[in-house]
Amino acid sequence: MHTTYNVVITGKLAAGADKTAAINAFGALFKLSPEKSQSVFNKAPVAVKSNTDKTTAEKFYRAISKTGLECRVVDATAGDTPAVSQGQKDTPASSPAAPAATTDNDTPVTFKGFSYKIEGRPDYSFLTVEIPANETLKVEASAMATMDTHLVMKTKLKGGFGRFLTGESLFLNEFSAANGAAEIGIAPGTPGDLVHQHLDGQTLFLQNSAFVAATMDVNLDTKWQGMLKGFFSGESFFLIRASGKGDLWFNSYGAIIEIDVEDDYVVDTSNIVAFTEGLEYEITKVGGYKSLFLSGEGFVCRFKGKGKVWIQTRNAQAFTSWAHFFRPVKSKK
Amino acid sequence: MKSEIKGSQAFSYVEVELAPDEVIVTESDAMSSMDADIELKARLNGGLFKGLLRKYLGGESLFVNHFSNPTNTPKKMTIVQGTPGEICHRKLDDEVYYLQPGAFIACSPGITLGLEFAGLVSFISREGLFRLKMSGSGDLYFGAYGALLEREVDGEYIVDSSHLVAYEPGIKLKLQLAGGIFSSLFGGEGLVTRVEGKGKIIIQSRSITGLAGWLNPKF
Repeated sequence: MHTTYNVVITGKLAAGADKTAAINAFGALFKLSPEKSQSVFNKAPVAVKSNTDKTTAEKFYRAISKTGLECRVVDATAGDTPAVSQGQKDTPASSPAAPAATTDNDTPVTFKGFSYKIEGRPDYSFLTVEIPANETLKVEASAMATMDTHLVMKTKLKGGFGRFLTGESLFLNEFSAANGAAEIGIAPGTPGDLVHQHLDGQTLFLQNSAFVAATMDVNLDTKWQGMLKGFFSGESFFLIRASGKGDLWFNSYGAIIEIDVEDDYVVDTSNIVAFTEGLEYEITKVGGYKSLFLSGEGFVCRFKGKGKVWIQTRNAQAFTSWAHFFRPVKSKK
Repeated sequence: MKSEIKGSQAFSYVEVELAPDEVIVTESDAMSSMDADIELKARLNGGLFKGLLRKYLGGESLFVNHFSNPTNTPKKMTIVQGTPGEICHRKLDDEVYYLQPGAFIACSPGITLGLEFAGLVSFISREGLFRLKMSGSGDLYFGAYGALLEREVDGEYIVDSSHLVAYEPGIKLKLQLAGGIFSSLFGGEGLVTRVEGKGKIIIQSRSITGLAGWLNPKF
């Protein structure tokens, strides 16, 4: 199972880059006429280099990034480029200005944090992180699937009393690479997607069950959503607040779509995975009271402001209510 | 035998083209569709006693199905597995390969299915008291819940119990605690399998225990 990588330009610009200048620089890099490079850019997302090895892909990534065009390195075998581009097309009124936090969803290598790769996306995503010597990684309890023998595991209490109330595991495992770099494979229990986010001072709110792993400089604490929001959100009363600097990985049931919120955006309460700080949200109904009860949509979460929201394409309650009918056992009273 | 694994990792299936007089052996109920000319014979899985052993200890069926193509033209059939998840193909060339109970889907007739005592270590780490020993030459198809990932082991490597699917004979299994006593009890990791030796192992990226742990509180 030798993995190859594609270098894909996303059709977006890096922060602060001028479009014409970036396209010309890109054209100069690949020895294309300005018209030609413009048409390549218009066709984005498009792979500029396919089925290459990791080192070459990284070289291309760096060169293209310098031109001011946003590009990413994609696992060629996973074939999930269309899904990503679709998610971006769904974005309402997307502007070329890149937002503060960028997800390198498909990038098998990080350029700032720990190097990692995600395999088996989006159905059964499996995260492999390379922990450098003397570094530590925080991992959700019982999510470790494989590891090098010299990793040392320590169990810590996490999140305090809030975690206890929500039925999540109270504990968190810390894996330290005491004697040299080591590799750890992480498999969350939920079938579904996994997303990486590099935090650089931003704050992210995660649904309580979404946390997978984080580096030590990412602070995790629980935030009480408030009685009303918590009650209607269909998830739990608590959110995980991730802040600080470092890598963060989170997962969900179903595939994950990243959405840039510019103004107002409505998400079904049970489909929220994560959102950036600065977005205001309120729980509302979509239509009048009649539609509230008859449409099956129930309550929704209305986000306001500028930021990012990650949504999941399936939700657990819908799955359980579908599957429950086929379960021979009596449900718990 | 021409074959292709299709479908996503979530719901893989194998499309097999049987040349005239070719035979494929599958687990019972693994065939989902086929050309009408293909003949099926259910056979005991290597004698009654061995078959029974394999059924109760190896997680496999008592009968295996032999599909053959009696015509003069190539015929197609589709093979699936019961669990959602990926299917892997491996070509054996007069060698031995070990599968976890329940992972076997299909093979060409040149491969013998055997059952072997995997040792108490394997049992305690919830990998099953027995393992399937595949030996001979030919094509082998196996699958499990989740995506299947290959890992190269040279020396030692730790795999959480119920994530190991298949391994080469150069690999030995040992048992150890994931951390200290406290960590092992509360960290949710407990006992892990320590894989030693040189060779390739196949792991599954999801486990049924993980799924149950996520799902059960929601019902």
